[in-house]
Amino acid sequence: MTRVAAAVVAALACAGAAHAAQRIALPSPIAPLSAQPPLDGGASTAAENVAHSVSSATNVAVAINDAGTPFAVTATQRLDVRGLGDYFFTIGAPVLAVRAPSGSGSGSVPGMRTDSIVWAGFNPGERLLVARATLEPAKALAALPIRIRVSGDTTTLENATGVSVGSFSAEAPRAPLVAYLARLRAEVAHGRTPLQTSIPLASTPKNVRVTVTAPLHVTGTIGSQRIDVMLSGRTRFHGHGRIVLRVEPVERVDEITATSGRALLREAIRATLMLARANQYDEFLGNPDPAGPSQTVYAYRTASPPHAAPIAAVGHHRRTWVETALVVAVLAAALVAGAALWARS
Amino acid sequence: MRRLALLALVVPLLAACGSTRDATATKHLLLVVNAPFSSTPYLGRAIENGTRLAAAQVNTIGIRVGDQHYSLTVRTMDTALSPARAVANVRRAVSDGAVAIIDEGTGVDASWRIAARRGVPICIVFAGGQSLVDAATRPNVFRIAPTDHGIAFRLAEYLVPKHLKIALLHDDSDYGTAGAKELQRAFAGDPASVAIDETLPADPLDLSPQILRARRAHATALLVWGRPATIASAITAARSAGWDVPFYTPPTGADPFVRQQLADHPSWVDGLTFAAGRLTAEVGAGPFSAFTQRYVAAYGVDRVGVHTPAGAAVTEPPETPMYAYDFVNLLAVALTKAGSTDPAKVTKALEEVTVEGANGDERAFNRSNHDGVVDDDVYFARFHDMTYAPVKDDPLSATLPTTPQTAQ
Repeated sequence: MTRVAAAVVAALACAGAAHAAQRIALPSPIAPLSAQPPLDGGASTAAENVAHSVSSATNVAVAINDAGTPFAVTATQRLDVRGLGDYFFTIGAPVLAVRAPSGSGSGSVPGMRTDSIVWAGFNPGERLLVARATLEPAKALAALPIRIRVSGDTTTLENATGVSVGSFSAEAPRAPLVAYLARLRAEVAHGRTPLQTSIPLASTPKNVRVTVTAPLHVTGTIGSQRIDVMLSGRTRFHGHGRIVLRVEPVERVDEITATSGRALLREAIRATLMLARANQYDEFLGNPDPAGPSQTVYAYRTASPPHAAPIAAVGHHRRTWVETALVVAVLAAALVAGAALWARS
Repeated sequence: MRRLALLALVVPLLAACGSTRDATATKHLLLVVNAPFSSTPYLGRAIENGTRLAAAQVNTIGIRVGDQHYSLTVRTMDTALSPARAVANVRRAVSDGAVAIIDEGTGVDASWRIAARRGVPICIVFAGGQSLVDAATRPNVFRIAPTDHGIAFRLAEYLVPKHLKIALLHDDSDYGTAGAKELQRAFAGDPASVAIDETLPADPLDLSPQILRARRAHATALLVWGRPATIASAITAARSAGWDVPFYTPPTGADPFVRQQLADHPSWVDGLTFAAGRLTAEVGAGPFSAFTQRYVAAYGVDRVGVHTPAGAAVTEPPETPMYAYDFVNLLAVALTKAGSTDPAKVTKALEEVTVEGANGDERAFNRSNHDGVVDDDVYFARFHDMTYAPVKDDPLSATLPTTPQTAQ
């Protein structure tokens, strides 16, 4: 959270001083816009002179009840680790249990600590690490990308990735923005990490707030109805029944439509922020290699919540203040009687 | 009698009312080393020395738990390799208020329950049996030492691609029997590479008949899992029969006893390849070298008792002391993290902390794994002229430097 706040403050400070300097940094297309995702501070690696290249692919299984409310979350992460040498990775997550799924081909077994999955070992060059973690639902829910609500014959899907962030507005020459957006589009299309840039301004920037959401591609079924939508806000479907949905954050840069420099700057800022937000949801569990690619697919399914066994009533005997006073009085009397005995003997 | 009864009642009350404790005074925490000092003095001393070295370093600044400072006091107890005695020792350590027990491994199958009643952590620093450590069923048992499972699987991983016909020989000691189980599992995926599976008597006088059987089974390599005496006898039997078959062993192949037994025939030791926990980390030999210097400064070099052809005395790198040393450092960090000296809380905290080990590697446990040496960290080394060097035909071993093993 501190990191996010610092980034926003820095961006605003840059914006304020920008016109005089005639250039301003656009937002980073990869910096997170909120504390999570990734969960619990993300992933980290202990430095031992070795920097591994790691690509991460995560499947998040979300079990929902008939009303669409999630009650269980399981994440299966595959880390494809390249590079010779030791590794010690910590993957932040509110873990209840973790294991290497049988038949997954995992080259090692994951360890578990409070709020993290740990990996340690030696990589002979290539190693696949697979962990299936049962997550604490209450903590994982806030980082899920959609909310589902079933009410009667209506099922509502809502993009839950929206976040309000500080930005700026100004006049700007078109050419550098057009070039930057073209480069950004190419980088995303080729799966390369998009880079941040700075652009010249033609007027003093004004601070504004914008709401950013990660575009989500939602496919699957609600009852017998097939679903295939790009979800950026809220959508209602008439129909109910078993829900099976696959949700993928979409990292893309749309074609340029704006004509004025101000509008183009707004599009460029929005494009980079949307990339940053989609990138966040592609890193549900984080990647120990900050430059490594990450992808997350969320699978929502209707399931039956486990019935909690009734908790047997257990009688707790706590001493009341009256009882406590009585015990103290008895002890005091015993002391006095003892002293009297002592004096007579 | 009445006075005595009264005193028993009043004195504690007065003591409780009148005491003004000095919160700044350092208190002592008892750390017990439970090891076979009388039956295998080298091993017992190695564990004790590693423990004392770390405790001395920890005590220079002390351990802060809340507002209180603590230092570690080390006490040794001899198991004589007797499970019954080891269990009795643990019972005494727990009743004396030990905050942790560092153990060679003998008797842990019974002693862990006694320690578990008060949540006292036991850390094994030698025995590698798979069943000894289980985070779920034995939550107070930890280990910093290579596991038999890891050693066996790494040996299979290393040997199977060589297309050897391997004779799996193990002795009938607890160590040999546990190793045999792991070897059978490790080679189950490639039974064609096993020429024969043979049990040897522990501490034998002559293994010629068993070695002959292995030869008649057309074995092209011998993997001997047993005590040092078994390994020395197997080598003697093969070489004296003129059979130049390669030998592979678990860490006991590097035990000084093997070289001492074969001191009259140093060439018989040449080529012996053993699996063991790595002594150096990715960062290089620096950390282990610094640890060795501190160890030698405190306790002197551990001499093997043999010489190289050039006349230099062969020494033993402090591997087992390193494991005990690392556990004490983990314990100190866990005490601080727990914010309590309650052994049960310290046991839970041990699952959450990491330290840099004496060899520069990350040393840690976690909730699902109480083994501090991961299977990947098993490397292979081969003897030449009574000293050994990491092999070059294994990805991990090829990255490791040779540890100095001679002294003037």
